[in-house]
Amino acid sequence: MTKKENNLVLLSSDEEYCGGQSSSSKRRYRKTKSQPPLPRKSIRQAKKARVLGSRSCLQKDSRNVDEFNLFCEDFDQVFSTFKVSAGSGSICRNELWIDKYRPHSLEELAVHKKKVEEVKVWFEERLRTPKDASGNNVLVITGPAGVGKSATINAIASHLGARLCEWDTPTPVIWQEHLHNSSAGIQYTSKLDEFENFIGRMRKYGVIPSCFPVDSRQPVILLIDDLPLTSGKAALRRLQNCLHLYVQSTQVPTAIVITDCARAETTDLTVRYLEELQLCLENAGACKVAFNPITNNSIKKIISRICSQEQYNLAVEQIDAIAKSSGGDLRHAIMSLQLFCLKPSQICSSSSSAPESSKDEELPPTVVNDRFSFQFGRDETLSLFHALGKFLHNKRQSRNELLSDSEFSVQESLLRRPLNMDPPEKILCQAHGQARPIADFLHENVLDFMNEEAVDDACVVASYLGDADTLLSSYEGMLARHNDAENILHLAAASVAVRGVLFGNSHPLSSRWHAIRRPKLWQIEGSSLFNKKEMVKQRFIAYGGISLAHFSVIATDYVPALKWLGSSVSGDHENLRMLTEENTDFDLVNSGDQESHTSDEEIEDW
Amino acid sequence: MLWVDKYRPKTLDQITVHQDVAQNLKKLVTEQDCPHLLFYGPSGSGKKTLVMALIRQMFGASADKVKVENKTWKVDAGARTIDIELTTLSSTNHVELTPSDAGFQDRYIVQEIIKEMAKNRPIDSKGKRGHKVLVLNDVDKLSREAQHSLRRTMEKYSSYCRLILCCNSSSRVTEAIRSRCLNVRINGPTEEQIVRVLEFIGKKEGLQLPSGFASRIAEKSNRSLRRAILSFETCRVQQYPFVSTQAIPPMDWEEYITEIASDIMKEQSPKRLFQVRGKIYELLVNCIPPEIILKRLLYELLKKLDAELKHDVCHWAAYYEHRMRLGQKAIFHIEAFVAKFMSIYKTFLISTFG
Repeated sequence: MTKKENNLVLLSSDEEYCGGQSSSSKRRYRKTKSQPPLPRKSIRQAKKARVLGSRSCLQKDSRNVDEFNLFCEDFDQVFSTFKVSAGSGSICRNELWIDKYRPHSLEELAVHKKKVEEVKVWFEERLRTPKDASGNNVLVITGPAGVGKSATINAIASHLGARLCEWDTPTPVIWQEHLHNSSAGIQYTSKLDEFENFIGRMRKYGVIPSCFPVDSRQPVILLIDDLPLTSGKAALRRLQNCLHLYVQSTQVPTAIVITDCARAETTDLTVRYLEELQLCLENAGACKVAFNPITNNSIKKIISRICSQEQYNLAVEQIDAIAKSSGGDLRHAIMSLQLFCLKPSQICSSSSSAPESSKDEELPPTVVNDRFSFQFGRDETLSLFHALGKFLHNKRQSRNELLSDSEFSVQESLLRRPLNMDPPEKILCQAHGQARPIADFLHENVLDFMNEEAVDDACVVASYLGDADTLLSSYEGMLARHNDAENILHLAAASVAVRGVLFGNSHPLSSRWHAIRRPKLWQIEGSSLFNKKEMVKQRFIAYGGISLAHFSVIATDYVPALKWLGSSVSGDHENLRMLTEENTDFDLVNSGDQESHTSDEEIEDW
Repeated sequence: MLWVDKYRPKTLDQITVHQDVAQNLKKLVTEQDCPHLLFYGPSGSGKKTLVMALIRQMFGASADKVKVENKTWKVDAGARTIDIELTTLSSTNHVELTPSDAGFQDRYIVQEIIKEMAKNRPIDSKGKRGHKVLVLNDVDKLSREAQHSLRRTMEKYSSYCRLILCCNSSSRVTEAIRSRCLNVRINGPTEEQIVRVLEFIGKKEGLQLPSGFASRIAEKSNRSLRRAILSFETCRVQQYPFVSTQAIPPMDWEEYITEIASDIMKEQSPKRLFQVRGKIYELLVNCIPPEIILKRLLYELLKKLDAELKHDVCHWAAYYEHRMRLGQKAIFHIEAFVAKFMSIYKTFLISTFG
């Protein structure tokens, strides 16, 4: 039964989640249909469900006791079952390789040795003196998805012979269910409440091995893999408080796993909340270990190991491509591998006729590889600032490659060496760059990257940026926002701005570290608008009204005169000025509003 | 109260500078047949004063009872509704507004809001429906689409309301609108006229005016009566009794632009360009319109420039001024002009002095 379920995983993790739920535990009989809040989570659920299925039904029964699930990872047993399945690869074709090749010992982990050692030592210390109330029993592990954070904890727990308790995130309740439940008399408790209860219990009583007929002398490690999602400041505050208390008073060695998201990819608040939580935990005295993306070499090693066990022969380049496209995400790499190995012959033959994509210059330009990485790779993303850095530093290839293959004859002064990067449009696309902010950022920062003497360059760049600006505004107002024509116009404008900067800055400074500033322009626009309104208002009051004066008249004629006059009226004006100058973080009324805020915060980390 | 406001003529009869125009307007209004009007002329020439006097002539004292409203209008534009914020000044009989404040959404104002305003007409004492007067400022800053819809509005509601349009340059108003209005050109006052006004104010205030002082102010005022009166008043505050050689306090922003110009002449480098940008930002924050900045900057640069470069620099100033009007963010284009100037000037310096 579970095997069948696992087939579904390939198609959709959502399906699996539901299926896994219903099959794995009767406790969730009421939650027939539910959405996974995070994709990461659903995979985990899947893992667990499968593991459970392959074990005895004794544990299945014992699971439905509480909303958090303590299960004794009887690793030896599991390990042996896995050994069996791994030995006969052809039989278990239906199994997911991620589960099949889960690391079970420290040696199998692809994570850097030192990191593993660090975590292991930490746990060893805690377990050796478990009743020492040092208040430092919490370890925060951060890192991108798929680098083996949870796997490390699992492996270490089994290595130390510790029992692993997990906070099992309750399934979200959808509205219809809630209605049904409430009519049936079941009270709804928020997930955050449940988590708080759980944490409170853990804090006060430690792990109660009530449902486990196991040796109570066995040390216990608590793993919190999913912090509840919080929406809104209040909920976040609660969660913070509860965790803070926990960190300070718990006796159980605890690992909290937090997955980093690339900040540029999301303007999501939850991500920011996670970061805040992380900070809060550290402040409370928790240790922190940050996991890095897994190196290409380690991924390659793992892939080749799996390949040899599964008896597939992959070319070195193919392994290379898988590793490269995974972006340090081992889980993803193994999934790609399995997909790739499904029908290798078909994919190769179909791709050899396909047009070559221009990715991955470093790889030998075999069609298969390009095509391959194109199909299975995670989309690379760049942060806006990374992209801007590329444009502003303007790295070009060395001179000797010049002129060799230029098809057009161009004047000497207009010639530029080929770019040492992807085409600008592609970078823009990866960075989700919107034309307006890109142009503003470039305008703000480009002068810093220019040679001291190169006024001509500055002139060319300024002119191109002006062009971009003109393009951006040409259809302003005439077309609706989602119109295709405007989209194209924006693309063109971004392209003109970027290429103009790249072309114009023909004598870039040798690369050194530059801060990239947030465009001052935004702030200027905001306060200018504000000043305008105030001026007109003040003028009207001072004059006693009968006619509206235009702000330009006021600004150019009245305000300077009033300054000289120093009358009581001008006193108001002075106040006004002070007020607006203080008001530096003026909200933009412009369309670039949201963008500006996010990038504002990003820039501080840059 | 500032002298500019205090000595502003309240009625058409009081107007001295454009007496002939005022008398003609009076005749027009008393004959009860007032067409749409388009006043155009440079800033500080007295358009607004004329318009207000005209309205007073039409409606009497009720025109003085005005209220300012900063209202958000909800306009249905196809699939969505747009919120437009607009400041209006209105009495029972007239409404004054500046549609170009709404930026590129100005056409909605011209179409929708004017329609709404034109709908509720005041009823005069005899129960007859009167005309409502709409005063639109800065018509030349309206986008082309807005001007087109304005034309429609003018035709459609001409029986309900009269439009009085004000602008600086009639060349930026479309032909269609101009032909539907009675065009009234308001010249900038001549220096003699300014001197006469200043002397009049001086007499009223009981001031001794040394000979030649008023004409110096007039000269400095760039033929803007408003500016002349304002600087006259500042002179009064600074030093009285007047001395004929007394310094006339300059406008701070003009000083600032002079400073920028000398900065540009001194050094031409990206770094300096960046500093200049900062100073232009300063001006923009204080709401000095970018066109005026560019114009003034050109003027200051030309003062110090070698004759053979003047032509070129003017050309580029015109070029970037045009781009600025097409574009959205003025600083891009002002900076492009400054960079261009630096580039030209540097090449010139190198070729001349090696």
